[in-house]
Formats: sequence, C-alpha cells, structure tokens
Amino acid sequence: MSSRSPFSEMLATLIRQRGVVGSMVVSESDGIVVDSNLQIGVKGTVVAALAASLYRKARLSASAAGLGEATFLQLEAERGRVFAIGRNDLVMVTVAETRANIGLIRVAMLRALEDGGLG
Amino acid sequence: MSDDVRRWSDELARDPSSHVFLNLGEALRRQGQTAMALKVVLRGLERHPQLAPAHDLLARIAVDRGELERAFDEWDIVLRLSPDNAGARKGMGFLCFQQGRLAEAERHLSAAANGDPADASIASALAHVRDSLGAPPSVPQHEADAPRAGAPAAGGQDARTVFAGVIGEGYQTALLLDGDGLVLAGAYVAPDGRDVAQEVGAQLSGVSDEAQRAMRHLELGAWSSIVFETDAAIVAMAPAPRGGGLLLVAAARDTPLGFVRRLLGRVSDRARQWLEDGA
Amino acid sequence: MTIAVVEPWVEEPLKRFVSEARVLLALLLHPSGQVLAQHGFTRAMDVMSACALAAAIHASAGELGRQLEGKPFAGLHHAGRERQIFLAPVATARGQYILLTVFDRESSLGLVQLYYGEFQARLAAAAPAAPEPAVVLAENFEGELNRNLAVLFGRG
Repeated sequence: MSSRSPFSEMLATLIRQRGVVGSMVVSESDGIVVDSNLQIGVKGTVVAALAASLYRKARLSASAAGLGEATFLQLEAERGRVFAIGRNDLVMVTVAETRANIGLIRVAMLRALEDGGLG
Repeated sequence: MSDDVRRWSDELARDPSSHVFLNLGEALRRQGQTAMALKVVLRGLERHPQLAPAHDLLARIAVDRGELERAFDEWDIVLRLSPDNAGARKGMGFLCFQQGRLAEAERHLSAAANGDPADASIASALAHVRDSLGAPPSVPQHEADAPRAGAPAAGGQDARTVFAGVIGEGYQTALLLDGDGLVLAGAYVAPDGRDVAQEVGAQLSGVSDEAQRAMRHLELGAWSSIVFETDAAIVAMAPAPRGGGLLLVAAARDTPLGFVRRLLGRVSDRARQWLEDGA
Repeated sequence: MTIAVVEPWVEEPLKRFVSEARVLLALLLHPSGQVLAQHGFTRAMDVMSACALAAAIHASAGELGRQLEGKPFAGLHHAGRERQIFLAPVATARGQYILLTVFDRESSLGLVQLYYGEFQARLAAAAPAAPEPAVVLAENFEGELNRNLAVLFGRG
C-alpha cells in the first residue's frame, strides 16, 4: 500500500528487522489487510486471512481454557515464522525467514503495541 | 379456553414480539389443538427466526401431527442454532428409532444424555435403543485404544504421570492429545485441584487445526511449534511424534520463553518413547 | 458434511470450499435461479427462496456495477450482527454460475474470499465442455427447478 497510514512507520520498523519478509496490520474479525509492508512475492491477502484466523483461534481457545487473553503468538515452520500480536480487533502480523531473530522481532512487536501501534 | 391460554393470548395481542408465543403454543399443543399451536408458533418464528426453542416447539407440534420429516428438519435447525441442545438430540433420537435407524438413534441419544445426564427419560430411551441394537454402545476406536488418563498404560506407568520426570516441579504441565483433541497422557491440574486436562486439551487442539490449514497456503512447509503468551501462562504446542496428535506444554507467565521451547522438545522426546513402549 | 448436488462435477469443489472456509451455508446456482448444489439447507423451500433472491441480487448488483463502473461488481458482501453473506459469480466453460455463502465468526470475509478464489479455479477445472447453447429460461424451467430441488433433497 503506497499511501501513508497510522501504521506505516511501525510496519517500516518491523520490515527492517533481519529476515522479516512482510509485516501487516489486519482486521482480526474480517481477516482483511488494513495496511502492509511486504517484500515482493509475499501474498498479503492470504497471510492476512490465515494469520488473523490463527490468532483469533488462539485467543478464544486460551480464554475458553481459562488461561486468560492471548497476547503474543509465534508459529515456527520448516521454512519460516509467523508472529502475531493483537488489540482492539486489529492484529499486527510479521512473516519472517527461519534465520530471523525471534527475540528481536518479539520485542519490536511488543514495543509497537505498547506505543499504541494498534490504538 | 384456560386462564393461561387467555392471558398469553392477550399478552401476545398487546406485544406481538413477545416470546410468550412459546408458552401459548405449548399450551395449545398439550390441549391437542395442533393446528392453532402451529399457527401461533409460525407467526412467532416470523419475528424470531433464530429462536431455537421456537423451532423445538414447531418440531414437537410436527410430531404430534405425524409430520416426522418436518420435525427432523426443525430439530436440525435447533442444533445449528444451539449445538448442545439435548432436547433436539432426544427428539431426533426418537424419530430415528421410530424409523428403525437404530445406530443413528443411539448416536443422538448418547449426545442428549451427555448434554442432560439428569434426564431419566433420555437414559431410559438410550438403554432401550441399545437393547434393540443388541450390542454394547460403540466406542470410537481412538478411545478404545488410547491409554486413558489415570489408567495404567505402557510399562505399567500411569498415563497421567508420563511427563512428571521431564517437566519437574513448579507451575508447568504437559499433555499429549490424540488427533481428536482427547488426552492420551499427562495432566492439567487447576488451582482447585481438579484435573482439567480434557477441557484444556479440547479447547487448545483447535489451534493446531488452524495452523495446519494456514500451512497449506503459506508455503512455509509443515509447522513445528506454536507458542502463545497469555495473561496467565505461556503455552507451547507441537505436532505429536506419532499418529497426528498434539503435544502441549503450559508454564507460568514468567517462565523464560527459551526454557519453554526446550521443555517442549524434552516432552516430545518423552512422548515418542512412551508411544513406542506402548505400541 | 452433506453436500447435495444436481451435477456431480460440482460436488468436490464445493465440498472443499465448505470444509476449508468453514461456512454455514453454500449455494451454487445458475444466474436464472436454478440450483446446482447446496450445503447446509434443510428445506427445499429455503433453497428455492435463496436461489430466487440470490439471482435477483446478482442481476441488480451486476447492472449497478455496469452503470457505475462499466462492468459488473465482482462480489458482494453483507455483514449482519451474527452472520454474513458473500455472493459472487463463478466463471466456467459451461457458463457463469453464482455462489452464495453464509458464514459466522468461525470464518471471516478474508477466509471466504481466499477460498472463493480456489473454488473458482477448481470449479472451472472440473467443469465439462460447454453444452449446446440453450435459452436461459427454458419452457420447462419450473419443471427443471422442481426436479433439481427433488434431487437435492432426495425425493427425486
């Protein structure tokens, strides 16, 4: 997305992390991209729909299991990683290669959330 | 006309959107006035098409009128609106039994009995259907084969304590779930002392289904772990070493994330060993 | 999962769509309102009304799109409090069909759009060669409609 939004700066910070190939803000209930900063080849709409659904499922399941509200989620797969953190029906999603530093990305996303990145 | 019928009729006339049509329809049905009851409930459904008790009432009126197919359809709608509705399951069980579909009747009545264990009429109908089937109730294969939590399993070890040596002390717990989210091994003890492993396992196993679906489209290969942090805990999960199940580890919120990941690895090794011993 | 179809080549793509997108109801119909397949409906009457409404909405939205943008709108989404509908055309070698689907919080618009895209591709691949051109509203339209409903609800 070319025009600047309230999320542009936050997404630009995340995409600069080593190994990050895409970062976006997604509507949790709709699974639709609100804003994104993606490398070429990353299918934003697909990632948005699936990552939002995964995050929502984790959030609702954790709550139903009596574990409280889920905050940060990370998924590791053979060829990459997906991170998600949410608030106010918005989810910040980051997709990274396996070489990415999990700790740095997690801290960057938590900080963005604390700074009001999702309102 | 009884006093109640008159009172409910008046109330409905004053407020056509009131739910009192349910009482009125039921009273008319009980009096054998099924045509009038049908009219009342259909009018109510025009205003409240998503009201499960109204569809349930319509189903019972349909049974009274001998319209069994319609009754089945209505109870089916009830279950879509309210999936745990024991009354609808009971009704569908009754209809299936009437039509000689005994296995289906048994399935519906079992579900009804789970939903409302106190209803003696369901228990008695279920026993009757099972008698007619001439065999003990069917137990899904995975349940029959699975070592049950609390029961001695492979090598004589209690399935609940399989991970005790791995997770150590403190607020940490581990579960091994089968492909349907049922507990194979491990325990999850709530602060009040209850083992809530089944509940927690059932809720959280859905997350791995979601991950599996995502992996089919994201071109990232198979998923190897999911970690999520909640207000109260850190939960880590991984595919079980065998059989399409799921491993789950939960630790206190302040446990270092790296430690939780290592714990998940150790639990996975222990589960593999335990499954091999039991095979 | 119960999928009822009038033409067998529709079954697999629709089954995949329903299972992956986790929708409550799905209906595939001809733009004339004739039903091809359905999932989730329990009454023939519901299918008949839904088909008629979907065909009418599709025709109106298409015309509105043509007037505003010079081409029909690609899809239509309406969000209710508990349930949402998504209505969109599906092109195949046999002509265009309409997919109407209803979903709740178990799914999302993003997921439905994602799997709608896959459904389009699968249906187009599964469709047999185009039949001889026929009038849209055949003389025996009503008979066809009733036959289709009877097949879907096992009373044929």
